Formats: sequence, C-alpha cells, structure tokens
Amino acid sequence: MSEQERRPENDGRDFADAMWSIPSYLLAGMAVYGGIGWLLDRWLGMSAFFPIGIILGLVLAGYLAYRKFSR
Amino acid sequence: MSALTVLASDEFGAPTPDELFNLPPIIPGVDWFTKPVLLAMLSAILVIGLCWGAFANPKIVPGRLQNVMEYGYMFVRDQVARPFLGKDADRWMGLLLTLFFLVFIWNIMGVIPIAQFPVASHIAFPAVLAGSIYVLKVYLGMKHQGPVGYFKNLMFPPGLPKPIYLLLSPIEFLSNLIIAPFTHAVRLFANMFAGHMLLAFFSMVGFWFLFEKLTPLGAGVGVIGVVMTIVFTAFEMFIQFLQAFLFAMLASMYIGGSLHPDH
Repeated sequence: MSEQERRPENDGRDFADAMWSIPSYLLAGMAVYGGIGWLLDRWLGMSAFFPIGIILGLVLAGYLAYRKFSR
Repeated sequence: MSALTVLASDEFGAPTPDELFNLPPIIPGVDWFTKPVLLAMLSAILVIGLCWGAFANPKIVPGRLQNVMEYGYMFVRDQVARPFLGKDADRWMGLLLTLFFLVFIWNIMGVIPIAQFPVASHIAFPAVLAGSIYVLKVYLGMKHQGPVGYFKNLMFPPGLPKPIYLLLSPIEFLSNLIIAPFTHAVRLFANMFAGHMLLAFFSMVGFWFLFEKLTPLGAGVGVIGVVMTIVFTAFEMFIQFLQAFLFAMLASMYIGGSLHPDH
C-alpha cells in the first residue's frame, strides 16, 4: 500500500474491509480445499482428504488474511 | 392468517413459515401481485416522494421534511459513502441514499401496523438489489482497472511469494465473486425472515393465551408473550435499521473496491 493511500480517512475502510473479508475468506478456503478433498475422497474411495482439505483451507485462508490485513 | 389457525385447532400451534410468507394474491387470478410486491411498490413510491419533497426545491432554512431527510443524507454520506469512496462519495450518493432508504422502508414495513410484512423476507427482493450491485461492481472494476487487470488485482494480491498464488487465488476468487453477492443478499433476507417469525410467534402466544383460551395458568404465558412482542418489536426496529445500513455500507464497500484497487 502506498503512502498516499495510508491517510487517516482510509483507516475505517481498511478495518471494515478486514472485518467483512475475513469470514468470507475462511468460508471460501474451507469450500475450495474441502471441496477438492471431498472429490479426492470420492475418487479414491477414502475419507481422510475431506477433513484435511478443510483444515488446509482454513490455514491458507488465515494466511491470506494475515498477509493482506496485518499491515 | 393467524386467525385461521386459531379457529382450526384446539391446541396452540406456532405460526409456520408457510402461513406467514406464502401469501395469496391480492387480486384473484393475478398471481404475481402479492402483499410483498404491493409493499415494495408503495415503498419505492414513498422513497421517491420523500426525496422529491425534501430535495426538489431545497430551502436555505430547511423545512421539517427537508430537515429530517438531510439528517438521513448526512448519515449515509458520513457513515456509508465517505469511509469507502473518499472523494468519489458525492458522485455515488444518489445510488447509496436510494438504496439505504428503500431497504430501510422495506424493512420497517415489518412493524408498521396493517402492512406488517418486511419485504426483504422474500429473498427475491434483496437478491435483485444485491445482483444489481454485483453487476455494477464487476462493471466498474473492469472499467477502472481493465478487464484483465480487475481479475488480476482481485485474485493476485501483491506482496505474496509466487507459488502461494496457486493456492490462494481460488480462495480470493470464490470469496470475492461468488460468496460476496450471496451473503450480501442472504444477510438482509435472513435477518428479516427470522425477525418476522419471532414477532409472529410471540404475538400469537399473547393472542392465544389471553384471548382465545384464557385460563388461570395460561394467562401468565400470555402476558409474557405480549411483553416479549413489545420488547422484540423495539429490537426488530433496531435490526431493521442496522440491516439497511449494512446493506448500503457493503454496496459502498464493493463499489469502492472496484474504483480503487488497494492491498
């Protein structure tokens, strides 16, 4: 983010942005990687990839939110 | 609706969603013209009328209507538009003000006597609004950041190690382009739906135990029902305002995000 965009009036925006985006990221992360895991499970006849995918999705979404909003 | 249930059975039955939300057409034979449609139209006319009355011929010393509406305008401008749009706020006030007032009046219909139906508790209404905002968001994004640039900014936030993009872009895509418009509509719909159910349930409890089957033991329950109806009506009015504010605020946030890519 450039210096010009870091004016005080943008703080409220960044905060609200983070508050609305993070739950959405977590949900999307679980859906994408949980979904991939579920498909893998169906394909391979297993049941381990679905929970692994959900956890992986949560971790990745948390990482994404951390990198985007922790500045 | 509730009177039918009361007469039909001897025991207390909570109102079902089918009774509350599946309303018959007002004019028999015209299937699309139901109570929520009528209320949505009346609300739209009311918003036009209020804005026309207040702002068509503004005075330096505002009259009563202009005064009230200016409070509304300033609220939307300072709390909804400016935090997200900055210097572009004034250009988008027409849309955001209309959106806020329309959703607010749709919602407040839920506690206005006789009307007593929050329009947004039929998901079609918030879905149309959220869908329009979604189309606008994507259009503005493509216009201001280029058709490719928009999706690039959206899915590849700068400052991450290259291989990580492979893992994170699907999350960004799903979150911004699929989940966002869905939750935008569902948030408003679900709040109004649940609020209407709660109010209907508690007023049914009060009506049943105090008027239909008044017994010494049941009277206390009926009184609780009436008290809870009053408490929840006040709470519901707060939620109705809050959801209208959030709906307009999210619209402003999406528009702002398309105009100025950041992060």
